[in-house]
Amino acid sequence: MPEAIKRRGDYEARVTHNRQLGKLCYRLGLEFSGDAARLFATFQPGQFVQLEVTSLALPPADKIPAHLQDQAWRHVMLRRPFSLCSVSATPTTTTIDIIYYLFGPATLRMITLEPGHRLRVLGPLGNSFAMPENKQTALLVAGGVGAPPIQHLATELAARDAVSQIVLFAGSKTIDDLAIERQDTPQGVSLPDLEAPNIAVHIATDDGSAGHHGFVTDCLVEWLQEHGEGPTADLVLYGCGPEPMLRVLAAIASRNKIDCQVSLERYMGCGMELCQSCVVEIRTPQQTETIYKLCCLAGPVFDAREVVFEEAH
Amino acid sequence: MMTETSVQVDFAGLRLKNPVMTASGTSGYSDELGDFMDVNALGGFVTKSISIRPRRGNPTPRVVETDAGMLNTIGLANVGLDRFVAEKIPTLEAMAEAGVAIFVNIAGTTIEDYVAVTERLARERAIAGFELNISCPNVKKGGISFGTDPVQVEEITSAVKEVTHGKVLIVKLTPTVTDIRVTAQAAVEGGADALSLVNTFTAMVIDIETRRPLLADRTGGLSGPAIKPIAVYLVNRVYNGVTKGTDVPILGMGGIRTASDAIEFMMAGASAVAVGTASFVDPACAAAVIEGIRVFCDRQHITDVTELIGSLE
Repeated sequence: MPEAIKRRGDYEARVTHNRQLGKLCYRLGLEFSGDAARLFATFQPGQFVQLEVTSLALPPADKIPAHLQDQAWRHVMLRRPFSLCSVSATPTTTTIDIIYYLFGPATLRMITLEPGHRLRVLGPLGNSFAMPENKQTALLVAGGVGAPPIQHLATELAARDAVSQIVLFAGSKTIDDLAIERQDTPQGVSLPDLEAPNIAVHIATDDGSAGHHGFVTDCLVEWLQEHGEGPTADLVLYGCGPEPMLRVLAAIASRNKIDCQVSLERYMGCGMELCQSCVVEIRTPQQTETIYKLCCLAGPVFDAREVVFEEAH
Repeated sequence: MMTETSVQVDFAGLRLKNPVMTASGTSGYSDELGDFMDVNALGGFVTKSISIRPRRGNPTPRVVETDAGMLNTIGLANVGLDRFVAEKIPTLEAMAEAGVAIFVNIAGTTIEDYVAVTERLARERAIAGFELNISCPNVKKGGISFGTDPVQVEEITSAVKEVTHGKVLIVKLTPTVTDIRVTAQAAVEGGADALSLVNTFTAMVIDIETRRPLLADRTGGLSGPAIKPIAVYLVNRVYNGVTKGTDVPILGMGGIRTASDAIEFMMAGASAVAVGTASFVDPACAAAVIEGIRVFCDRQHITDVTELIGSLE
């Protein structure tokens, strides 16, 4: 009998690919073997990893984009949290895929990773999206770099046949920023990773470069209107993206009485409950007071009704 | 014939199996690091701060990364004395039985708070001693406001000393003073059995887009490699000016990431050292530091690690 798998650990991964999906967007593949392969094969949609980035070098000066010229020179010390867009396992290895934006000094260093490079990865961390029970339709809303765990969830829901219909709304500022692998065809944008008979995809961009011109939450509202008088108890809503988007999502869910889970992001020092920095303000059932829960331990996925969303700064 | 290097040290009457501890607030309440290292290999374990009542701590953002360090303003968030006793002591008992010296970090807003928490915990067999936190920069009352005034340092130390029932009392000092020897002397006068040097440095990071401090509480405590040379200097200053030739040992901390960092602290005068922020990045860091000290001693043909203490020429 194999030994019990550890809950989480810090393992070395081998980079399998690190390719550019858009001007600011990259997809990184990390392969594990041995015990780590067994552990990471258990990864559930919504869980995350912490990547060690201190050991990575800066890219050559001519590869540093203009918007990071200033920040590039900052040192990085803390690990960086990433959720996954996919997990695939063979009998001996597990590969996880991460989609990241070229956002600051750490992700800038990550673009230097090449196949064969080694990287330390801590995980699996956090909770996961709860699988729907007795629901017909799962509505998934992804905003910006919040797309990867939503992609992971969509493919997992489809594979498990957990609902009869999955409707995924993906939004970004512009189509080039979409944090999902895409193919531009004369007929429009297609998302090969999400091609499944029971997944329908709607795209929205702030600048109208593809799909609906406007917020992704507009598409959701429209879908709900078209859905009409159908019972909302059959629906379940999942979201990951910028907090203002999640706040709107929570309001839509509340108005329509739809169960809703959101995956949140906070500044995280460690991701393993040591630093106590990533608190989320949570309403208690009595609603008389709020408490703090750690995003890395109690989250990152929360019931939208519980969350006191942060005001935009 | 090879002689086995002894890495045991005496610390205020306790025999530690090695000089490496965890720093308060960076390694949880008990065995949170257990997924990543053998916590029973530690020389000592210092818990997160415990206050008489639970504290929810400060709003977010609570941490921000800086060059070679980070700022935190957690605000002594903790489960409070009752839950600590009920939920954490059993695990600490197991660690104590394995030979790890357990220290509980005590926080409060009044002298009475500190005394009450210490008095309650002094009955616990698992606990070897206390670390008096009079140097937290992130709370409005208590914390650093005690630690910068030598009169209050002596007063609170002697008040708590009366209720320790012979357990070790460490006083943790702030570096945010003009002359740390003055507060160190005051703690010794008050009956401190040992000194922890140093807590974080009060610091600020500004978001230049919003012209606001990045941390919700405006300022935070700077930790990490950035502070190490200052911390080494302050340990040496207190060692030479206050504790040398006395039986009051120093627990040195501030930016320790490697065994060589730890050895610097010991040469400066620390009898033991604590790994803090580095555990956020590498949760097995303390174990690596212990091993590295052993390797250094072997290489230098040092048979007893205590030879290093205060050996600076």
